[in-house]
Amino acid sequence: MTAHRQHLPSATTLLAQRWSFEFFHAAGVLLIVGVIVLPIFWITLTAFKEPRDVYALASALHFTPTLENFTTVFAHPWNIGQKIVNSVLVATGTVLVAIPMATMAAYAFSRFQFAFKRTLFLLVIASQFIPAAVVVLPFFLMFKAWGLLDTRIALVMVNLSIVLPYAVWMIKGFLDAVPLEIEESAMVDGASRARVIWEIVVPAAWPGIITAAVFSFTLTWNEFLFALILGKQHALTLPIGLIGFRTERGDLWELMAAGGLLITLPMFVLSLMVQKHFVGSLTAGSVR
Amino acid sequence: MALIELKQLDKRFGQTHVVKNLNLDIADREFLVLLGPSGCGKTTTMRMIAGLEEPSGGEICFDGVRVNELPTQLRDVAMVFQNYGLYPHMNVYDNIAYPLKLQKVGAEVREQRVSKAASRVGLEPYLHRMPKELSGGQRQRVALARAIVRNPRVFLMDEPLSNLDAKLRVTARAEIKNLSEELGVTTVYVTHDQVEAMTLAHRVAVMNDGVIQQLGRPEDIYNDPANVFVAGFIGSPAMNLLPVQASTQGVRWRDGVNVALRPPREGQLVLGVRAEDMHLTAEGDGHFSAEVFTFELLGDCSMVNFKLGETLLSVKASKSLRLARGERVHVRLPQDRLYWFDAASGERLRD
Repeated sequence: MTAHRQHLPSATTLLAQRWSFEFFHAAGVLLIVGVIVLPIFWITLTAFKEPRDVYALASALHFTPTLENFTTVFAHPWNIGQKIVNSVLVATGTVLVAIPMATMAAYAFSRFQFAFKRTLFLLVIASQFIPAAVVVLPFFLMFKAWGLLDTRIALVMVNLSIVLPYAVWMIKGFLDAVPLEIEESAMVDGASRARVIWEIVVPAAWPGIITAAVFSFTLTWNEFLFALILGKQHALTLPIGLIGFRTERGDLWELMAAGGLLITLPMFVLSLMVQKHFVGSLTAGSVR
Repeated sequence: MALIELKQLDKRFGQTHVVKNLNLDIADREFLVLLGPSGCGKTTTMRMIAGLEEPSGGEICFDGVRVNELPTQLRDVAMVFQNYGLYPHMNVYDNIAYPLKLQKVGAEVREQRVSKAASRVGLEPYLHRMPKELSGGQRQRVALARAIVRNPRVFLMDEPLSNLDAKLRVTARAEIKNLSEELGVTTVYVTHDQVEAMTLAHRVAVMNDGVIQQLGRPEDIYNDPANVFVAGFIGSPAMNLLPVQASTQGVRWRDGVNVALRPPREGQLVLGVRAEDMHLTAEGDGHFSAEVFTFELLGDCSMVNFKLGETLLSVKASKSLRLARGERVHVRLPQDRLYWFDAASGERLRD
């Protein structure tokens, strides 16, 4: 008994250990928060500054806020409004096409047995390992031949090729977690395969499908390279609009910050809205 | 209501031959239990009846009509899955109502039938709960209610009680028995639990290795096993099975004890005797003696276990008996309640 007691650390040592843990824990959290939040904070401040306040250290935190930057970016020549419309249309269009397609493909990969299934699935994933810079020129030539340069349709098509593999992979993971028994149950209850997928599998995997949709939307929303190369005047998206603020007169930071906020805000709102869908796995309780 | 015929039913998964040339007629309104150890092909057989598995050969007929090509959703069978297969995104009411919705039963009738089925299994207070908010027993009853809410031609139950705890299992078993007697629908019930089989079945089909070993009423299966497998599978504890060398003088087992019994023939045999048919007796009256290996008090009786050679045997004894490990007991075998099996083929040998 005494032998055991000798090995036990004293109460003060334990407390010290506890405190040092708490300290490093808090420091780590602060560091991460700083890295992520500080730039956003800085952009937010800059977006409401007059140009002369942007570079002045004295007015880093003390300045008279103005909404002028926002009116400027919506006006000619920046026309950020048109770019917002383009971005919304391209991202929404991509998600609306990608998610149903990905769900069907993921269902096939998850449930059906067919030749070269593994290889095919790997190929789908591997398509993402091709650097965008390699394919952007062929894409350019292809869309040029089709007369689709500088159109939103072209951007949706390109984004589909980027987003689909991720969406298939993500949704397949969620479908794999849906127990086969509930599908068989529904079939025994009299449901056709289509109804089983639509009324049983999709609702059960709904959180996963929403996750994939948000992910696809974000990816498309932020896509830069293809939008830059394929767009010219009509189909410019928000990220392209942003680099427009790098002019021969220098970088217009206050406008870029205002545009940056406009890019970030919808994503922020979207993620807040979607968060309530992540209420853990919906399949809990279906089988045993 | 349906008569089910399985004709030369065969199923292979790649190289594995799971169900071998199985022939079985299940009468209208019969409660048939497919009983066997895991991997014996009983669940596969049921899944073929449901249409969830395609036979590699043979025929399945409902009321004389071949249904092999009929997809699951058109076979009009109801099935209770081992892990219930409840729809996780629907509450209890919608779970039970789903088959009726698929049959396009009108809303009013649907509500009546759902509440009737729910009350039949005592689920009314939980109709608006989600499956994840239910206990195991309640989930099992939702699965049951979903099966009885329509009037299927056939009920299929795949180990519906195996995920319940022991106490609940007894209650649920009684409920299923009562329910099936009331509904009178042809039922195929798969289990590895021989007590469930004995208590529920009109007839039991004992399966092993893809083959029906014996088909009969529970009492026949218990009292008149067709082979070593059935003898060793049915009963709790299972029948004592002792390899012996039989001759005209009697039988002897490995450690050389000679017992004056009348085997049906000479050669390598297996002697079977049930624990409740053997008796502990006074010295001189017994066929042989042995040292107690373990003594178990079971409440209503006690179980004396001892070893003959490598084989562990059990004798059922009075609940007032107390024995210690290593004590010597004398055992009397009942001449008229002995079962003889061929050691090589395992087939029953009759006088």
